[in-house]
Amino acid sequence: MAVTRDAQPLFERYQTLAGTWDEYFREDGTPRSQARRIVAELERIGVKEFRARQKLADATFLRGGITFSVYSDRRGAERIFPFDLIPRVIDPARWDRVERGLIQRIRALNAFLADVYADQRIISEGVIPADLVLGAKGYLPEMQGIRPPGGVHVHIAGIDLIQGPDGEFIVLEDNARTPSGVSYVLENRTVMKKVFPRVFAQSHIRGVEEYPLRLVEALASVGPAPDAEEGTAVLTPGPFNSAYFEHSFLARRMGVPLVEGRDLYVEDDRVYARTTLGPRRIDVLYRRIDDPFLDPETFRKDSVLGVPGIVRAYAKGNVALANAIGNGVADDKGIYPFVPDMIRFYLSEEPILGQVRTYVCAREEDRKYVVDHLDELVVKAVNEAGGYGMLIGPQATRRERADFRGRIEADPRNYIAQPRIELSTCPTWTSKGIAPRRVDLRPYVLTGTKGTWVLPGGLTRVALVEGSYVVNSSQGGGSKDTWVLRSGSMQGDAE
Amino acid sequence: MISRVAESCFWLNRYVERVEVLSRMLGVNFAFQLDIELAATERWRPLVIVAGQEEDFLKRVEAPQADDGERVQEYLTWNEENPSSVYSSLRAARENARTIRETISLEMWETLNDLWVWLRSKDAHKLYERNRTTFYSRLRDQCLLFHGIAQATMLHEAPFEFMRLGTALERAGQTARVLDVRHHAVGPVDAAEEPPEAIAQWLTILRFCSGVEPFLKRRTAAPSGAAVAEFLLFDPAFARSVLHNLDRVGNFLELVSTGGTADTGRASRTLLAETRGQLASMSIETVLAEGLHETLTWIVETTAELSRAIHRDFFDPIVVRGSSQTQTQTQTQTQAQSSSQGQGQSSA
Repeated sequence: MAVTRDAQPLFERYQTLAGTWDEYFREDGTPRSQARRIVAELERIGVKEFRARQKLADATFLRGGITFSVYSDRRGAERIFPFDLIPRVIDPARWDRVERGLIQRIRALNAFLADVYADQRIISEGVIPADLVLGAKGYLPEMQGIRPPGGVHVHIAGIDLIQGPDGEFIVLEDNARTPSGVSYVLENRTVMKKVFPRVFAQSHIRGVEEYPLRLVEALASVGPAPDAEEGTAVLTPGPFNSAYFEHSFLARRMGVPLVEGRDLYVEDDRVYARTTLGPRRIDVLYRRIDDPFLDPETFRKDSVLGVPGIVRAYAKGNVALANAIGNGVADDKGIYPFVPDMIRFYLSEEPILGQVRTYVCAREEDRKYVVDHLDELVVKAVNEAGGYGMLIGPQATRRERADFRGRIEADPRNYIAQPRIELSTCPTWTSKGIAPRRVDLRPYVLTGTKGTWVLPGGLTRVALVEGSYVVNSSQGGGSKDTWVLRSGSMQGDAE
Repeated sequence: MISRVAESCFWLNRYVERVEVLSRMLGVNFAFQLDIELAATERWRPLVIVAGQEEDFLKRVEAPQADDGERVQEYLTWNEENPSSVYSSLRAARENARTIRETISLEMWETLNDLWVWLRSKDAHKLYERNRTTFYSRLRDQCLLFHGIAQATMLHEAPFEFMRLGTALERAGQTARVLDVRHHAVGPVDAAEEPPEAIAQWLTILRFCSGVEPFLKRRTAAPSGAAVAEFLLFDPAFARSVLHNLDRVGNFLELVSTGGTADTGRASRTLLAETRGQLASMSIETVLAEGLHETLTWIVETTAELSRAIHRDFFDPIVVRGSSQTQTQTQTQTQAQSSSQGQGQSSA
């Protein structure tokens, strides 16, 4: 860890972007209090040593096989998810609010799902229009009247947050089905500790390692038999799935088997695994197979990934599935604008976290506004994810906007629009030195019958391409370690 | 444990064993063919035959080059389309390991993945060009390290037992194949009348199995065909002898059946007991009288049959009770496997 005397300073030419919150520096160029320690440490290291450590980090990911598969490559190439060494740092007060806001939001989403698949009070009382709920792609009428074990629908949630120009965290998107990426949070942390041991010793950062244990606890709490950890498994589509690393990682760190659909079968409405010593009951599955592929008897007939009959077993309460079936209606982009109303309706509370002003094209008035203001808005297809089916109006060409106008008019239910938020930036290593790049944050929220827990931090995704607002890994995004500082670790640093 | 996972454990170790054996053979042959007077056809071709790839190899090279050591080494080490090459076996081992990362220890995965990343690097190719002996030693040593790490870091229960079952079964078959090298080089072994250079060749075969010093602890005489064959077939304690490994297969079959019903693993255990009994009833004299090559062929075929019995008993069990759809599509690697097994057999 020798540091050369003539270390070239890293942040010398760093320039924040106008009208954008920077996580490290104020507009006058002075570091924010929570970033002071890390800035000093990085300056001490200098450019040359920083490069060496970035190499070490990349090699560590490759060695550990912490990779995702690339579908298009027939030879089964695996890539590492680009990792940027400069951490995102969040001060304790700001995090405290995020944590409370997320718990509140998950309670509301869970209450919404319970209601939608039971009495649908939220529709009959006129809070959300029926066609938005019942017309959502993720609403599954087959689930009507089925209450999942323990009444928990959203065991694992990933809520995408962004920081606007004022630095406040607001909700960009909910994911109540199978949010991925948590394995990178844990692996990023391990690599950072290896690469920057000194910084870690000094920085008072909240740990993330307990996630798998919290997860297995939450899963066990909804098992038909109390604390039936032995019958818990992770269900994966298989080694060719791009997120297989994560499935395997979670199984390993929870100490439970990783199974594929073909390892399981259903008999007498109970789920069994095929083992070397004969059938074994399975009563809780953390399934990473999407609803349509879960059971060819109920959903897509051509699915070879799923388990025939598992929905019957689920309906009988003989197996708990995390997340519950049918959650897609809660994280539908068309439902998102109503989440604040949901919070008021079910919890009689005011939302703690704000969210982005959203125009629902299904509404006549909103549609008119959207079509007339395409050059200012970000338009998203309701049923797409991963940054696809999206128009970033201010950056789009005239033709692209005309194309989207046509699509919106043809199928208004499928589109929402939002003003473009100037996503906050975080200093990031680029080929031209350290520069501001836009980031978002996906915290992970676990819910069992005993309560809700938020992983301190989450996955910071960063748009590595200059000027880009898209952070998805499939589109040139990378990730960063996310540090939530312990309260009391910044004495005298009040900002 | 989950049947599919048990299958991957079993094959993981079989592939690691293949990497180790082939690397050792290539390294030994490289080092020792230098000082023995051998006809060109006897130097390298037998290794291709033992790997079960002669037909495929001859399709790929011009006849005059078929006995060129460089071509053989290139083919057996790097060729991605040769399912028995070091490269292909390591890829298969690593892919099995990747599939069951939740079952093996992190250290095991890192060792194997490291070796794979290295084999695909420029460094590995450079080392291959500059110092072949060290190149093959590194491969061999990492495989041995893998076994040591497994022993020290895994729970000693079903997954580990299936892994060791794979190693033992693979060793029994591999030793039989290796012992047949001289048959492929010079034809039927006549124990009574061996030419002087035979000693050097038998020594090489012992080296292929890392068996020189263990052999010398048993006998101080110069290695003859009969003595080496007897040692590699029957020695009760040599880590790579056929009989010893059949005993180990038996032990692991008992272990992985424990906790099941009386029927668990019955077909495999019965076949193993028969095979072991039959081998134990032979002596080196009866083997040579029958023909060494014929006995070795029988061993190789029987280990393949055992592998299929283990598959039916443990990896693809038919769930008999009740409803229909429980016999599902287990078609992982066994197909690719049985074809490469088949190729192995055709050579024997």
